[in-house]
Amino acid sequence: MNGSSALVDNIGASQSRRVFWDQDVYQLELERIFSRCWLMIGHDSLVPKPGDFITTYMAEDRVILSRQPDGSLKAFINSCTHRGNQICHADSGSAKAFVCNYHGWVFGQDGSLVDVPMEERCYHSDLDKSKLGLAPIRVETYKGFIFGCHDPEAPSLEDYLGDFCWYLDTIWDGPDGGLELLGPPLKSTLACNWKVPAENFVGDGYHVGWTHAAALQMIGGELAGLSGNRADMPFDDLGLQFTMRHGHGFGLIDNAATAIHVKRDGYVKYLEETRGGIREKFGPERERLYVGHWNTSIFPNCSFLYGTNTFKIWHPRGPHEIEVWTYTMVPKNADTETKRSIQREAIRSFGTAGTLESDDGENMSSATYNNNGIITRKGWMNSSMGKDREGPHPVYPGIVGVSFIGETSYRGFYRFWQEMLDAPDWAAIRANDDTWDAMWTNRNFWPDRLSAKQAEPQD
Amino acid sequence: MTETRKPVGMELHHAIVSHYSAEVRMLQNQQYREWFDTVIAEDIHYWMPVYEQRYARDRRPDPTPGDAAIYNDDYAELQQRVDRLLTGQVWMEDPPSRIRYFVTNVEAFEIAPFEFEVFSNVLVHRNRRQNEVYVHTLGREDKLRKTDSGFKVFSRKLNIDARVVQDKNLYFFV
Ligand code: FES
Ligand SMILES: [Fe+2]
Repeated sequence: MNGSSALVDNIGASQSRRVFWDQDVYQLELERIFSRCWLMIGHDSLVPKPGDFITTYMAEDRVILSRQPDGSLKAFINSCTHRGNQICHADSGSAKAFVCNYHGWVFGQDGSLVDVPMEERCYHSDLDKSKLGLAPIRVETYKGFIFGCHDPEAPSLEDYLGDFCWYLDTIWDGPDGGLELLGPPLKSTLACNWKVPAENFVGDGYHVGWTHAAALQMIGGELAGLSGNRADMPFDDLGLQFTMRHGHGFGLIDNAATAIHVKRDGYVKYLEETRGGIREKFGPERERLYVGHWNTSIFPNCSFLYGTNTFKIWHPRGPHEIEVWTYTMVPKNADTETKRSIQREAIRSFGTAGTLESDDGENMSSATYNNNGIITRKGWMNSSMGKDREGPHPVYPGIVGVSFIGETSYRGFYRFWQEMLDAPDWAAIRANDDTWDAMWTNRNFWPDRLSAKQAEPQD
Repeated sequence: MTETRKPVGMELHHAIVSHYSAEVRMLQNQQYREWFDTVIAEDIHYWMPVYEQRYARDRRPDPTPGDAAIYNDDYAELQQRVDRLLTGQVWMEDPPSRIRYFVTNVEAFEIAPFEFEVFSNVLVHRNRRQNEVYVHTLGREDKLRKTDSGFKVFSRKLNIDARVVQDKNLYFFV
């Protein structure tokens, strides 16, 4: 494959179907995206105490995340430096050391090789244990969320999240201590390319009314009107869509945070009681975000729905399969009853047997597998919705689209995806920092729109 | 596990197995409303917990209904799942999946007058669209109540034999 212009057309707002199918595209993604971006690997709440560990993946690489005696975090590749065996087979636990099943090499909580059976008799002082620790991974956290990265040249996690931090702070910092993740994760396989769910979560407000028609009808509440696309709603005033420098993005449905939850008294009360604190701390623009519902992806493969509070990692398994991991986000300082009810409702809607999740998986699989046809695969996909109705906004960072039903954040996601595939290194990516949003040429969209609104008579 | 309790007699055992066969037939025929009205008690707890993969030495307790669970439904919640399937707008079930159930290893014990604890193994075979095949095995722990209108289940715990579920979803009733 020669460059990625054959795969993404930013101006035409379309992507080659090969992005969901081709093995060579996937290989390049592993090398240029998954080996160089910050990937979600855990949360402080999942490894609270020294010695606590979880095992996870970064793309297809198995990883151990381990809490150190001094409270810091380390992550390393879960593969023995002797002959490559997987070191740890438990999902989580607490361990003083990790012992390989094959020949019994012992690795410490920090991944260093601390003991080798019969070392003297077998190696005759010839083994330099200090060079045989488990391969370390860069680890950084933002508001308790833990990310790993393999590229020493990558920016800090905070710079990688970039403008998105301004948004994330609203909920990850929150009024008083932010969020925690409740596990253990539900896990399931889904036969789809990893980008199908990532793009769906980053910016697909359009499918909600149709794909989820049955569930919305059953749940009722604020979004029932979307069911079957029957209601004649003025979408422009229902929310916004955002995309950032590094492909992160989300769609906001105003005043609909808890819309998908059926039993929600505790959570509604919590949000009502805390929104004032948000207004004080972050201002009214972010109070608006706080009481809205977000469908979000952090580039590349981590997604969440704030309000519904499902939290996903889409671990790729080749171009045509993923392993779906589902956690629940809950406010750290909510009472236990409220946390439990949020978790129940999040899983009821977006768990492995979720009333909405099961609608989505079917589409994601179908949108991937249709491209096995060689003629089909020569086609392109369209993501042009709202193309000229977006731009830089005087308040909200990044590029802002006028409605949550639009494809602004699709375009931003694939813009950065292409940039990552093309760039030889992070220096080349940094070189675009000032010009990344040049493809959005309607620079006056928001200033014009906002002043026109202001000119309207107030009632 | 050594079972000191005595299983129910042949006649009751047969009645329970027949009840399961009738239940399965309704599910296989997509008679979800009939299934719900016939076999589900109003105090149902329909539960499929998530069991982490842990070391044998790990002393943390097993999951409770307060923890993450694939299903954790009461009567109204289960009814909503049935309602959703009957809206006519669940595109993934149109054309419908083919589903087949095999219930074996039925062991029943009386735990109170007219109440029984029943263990069984369930194998579920789903065939969808043209070529999609999914097979699941589950251990099922029921609590049944014998009423004037037949057996009703008021507690159903499903242990799916998979840490990573090998299916795109588990939106079907067991
Ligand atoms: S492979 Fe791990 S000790 Fe030999
Ligand atoms: Fe969806």
